[in-house]
Amino acid sequence: MPDYITAVNQLIVDHASRMAGAVLYGENIKSGSRISGLTKNLRAPQAGRILNVGNCESTHCGVGFGLMMAGVPAILFVKQLDFMLLGIDHFVSTYNVVRSHPHLDDLGSFTIITIVCDQGWQGPQSSFNALGDLCSLARVPGYSITNAQDTRHVLERQLPSPGFRIIALSQRLFSTEFLEPPLVYAAHDSSVFQYTAGDDVTIACFNFAFPQGQILSDKLAACGITADLFSINAVVNPDWTRIVESVARTKRIVLIDDTKGARTGCDELLRSLALPVCGHDAIVVTRPADIPLGVCPDSLDIDYERLIAQLGRPNIRGRVTT
Amino acid sequence: MQGKSLELARRVLRLRYWQLLINEDLKQKLFVVPVHCAIGHEAIAIAVSDSMGPLDQLVLSHRNLAYNLARADGLDGIRDEFLHRGAGLCHGHLGSMNLVNRARGIVYSSSILGNNIPVACGFALAKQVRGLGGVVIVLTGDGAMEEGPFYEGLVFAKSHNLSLVIVVENNNQSMASTISERRCSISLADLCRSLAIPFATLSGNDVMDYTVEVKRLAERATDASTPVCLEVHLAALNQHAGPTPGWPTDPKTISIDNGLTVEPTTSDPVFVLRRQLGPDLFDELIREVTPGPAQSSRA
Repeated sequence: MPDYITAVNQLIVDHASRMAGAVLYGENIKSGSRISGLTKNLRAPQAGRILNVGNCESTHCGVGFGLMMAGVPAILFVKQLDFMLLGIDHFVSTYNVVRSHPHLDDLGSFTIITIVCDQGWQGPQSSFNALGDLCSLARVPGYSITNAQDTRHVLERQLPSPGFRIIALSQRLFSTEFLEPPLVYAAHDSSVFQYTAGDDVTIACFNFAFPQGQILSDKLAACGITADLFSINAVVNPDWTRIVESVARTKRIVLIDDTKGARTGCDELLRSLALPVCGHDAIVVTRPADIPLGVCPDSLDIDYERLIAQLGRPNIRGRVTT
Repeated sequence: MQGKSLELARRVLRLRYWQLLINEDLKQKLFVVPVHCAIGHEAIAIAVSDSMGPLDQLVLSHRNLAYNLARADGLDGIRDEFLHRGAGLCHGHLGSMNLVNRARGIVYSSSILGNNIPVACGFALAKQVRGLGGVVIVLTGDGAMEEGPFYEGLVFAKSHNLSLVIVVENNNQSMASTISERRCSISLADLCRSLAIPFATLSGNDVMDYTVEVKRLAERATDASTPVCLEVHLAALNQHAGPTPGWPTDPKTISIDNGLTVEPTTSDPVFVLRRQLGPDLFDELIREVTPGPAQSSRA
């Protein structure tokens, strides 16, 4: 089984090669480590280009929107999500103009593929693990990719589609096994995926927390507790329908969110659940409010035994921070 | 003066007339959107518009009124856009500062200083990748060139051999501040030389000279696959955004009742035309471009 970055790279190379006429560009995409392996073996598609570009991230974002408005598909590869803070003007100002275009289907596809530095050793400046916060500024479609199922679905559906989106990888997962869980359900818009079906509890994973959710689901199954396991990969306007239906049935939910942002997807889901499942039980697993931003391990470590014990009690409501 | 030159003169006068009509609407507070008139920018706007072929594309800034009017068939579509009407040029969706006219090659306008340079690079890169002809012309100014994306855009365009004409309208004004009031001097010539980007400068508001020069630069950008930079020294006679209550020098003093000439200096392209045409021909052209006896007499 290949590791996460090797497998994601192969899928990206495969999909990008089919985008005839596309411009693939980014810093160091043809030199050195090819962005830690992200763009290894990337080639220009038919009638397209591959461009190694200088260090001007704001301009790269604007160039992508220009290409898009001219009908040319483009993928911008970016080493770190925090570099994209320099492109916020385009995510908001330029994208707002683009969205008013009368013929949106005539536009090209503009995708930014970037890496969230979520392993914690970069230091305070690159400690930006909040794809949802970035995308919420102008309701930019954003997707995290965590395993083979969601990666294939997001790349197949999103890369060729007219419009703009950001697809983010987790650096923490780079050297881990590329998970290929059986798929129960995938939302057509790549926003929500379901991997196991059960009657006892609903598990909803956000950002890059699917591996933790899968471990919890497996441990629960060993205890005879079956779970509906979901991963919510879209950071803006995911389709909650299936999760709401699940919680209505299981009556209890565990939400796991490893983002560092203050505005978390799990809080949005809880708001969506408030009316339909009022009175039902929820455990929220997130980072503490006084989250350390210095050099420190950044993984969302979960005390699974404690969590399972909590799930065995009649009333499980609470918030767990790691 | 004859033929092409007369037609350019007519277009400058018509553009000035339309801008003054918009200015009168602004004074009446008719518009729901902010409008940045460009009274004094007519010569370069007409020159750029005249230089454009069917494959060329124009990327504008917030102060895009002169260029949009120069490319428009009439005033109504733009006026309706400012009135937020469905009959507007962009169905009331884009207003003034983001106004485009895709059918006439105006593909993007940005209200954010410096934002449009990278986007123009994207349009130019698209032409290069697809092997399309034509050139992309992007409008910026002495304020926007202070922004990081201006420098980044020059570097990107030169690095990737993009056919791009960068027109820097230097009106010595960024909202209420002159250049000396807000920053050090920047030599665009030196900056462009350091990047091996051809550079030219224009002043004096002679629309015939401007037209020749813009065409020459557009051809050079296309033939040599390079960005070129043109700095145009001019004045925004209406100050920042037309009639703005409380503005230090209140531009409400600009009135269509005083005729098309706003300032009797070479800062005013209409004044320059009057000197070139002579009073009789000048008056004749004004009668042609200002329809109706009342408007004609006002002009």
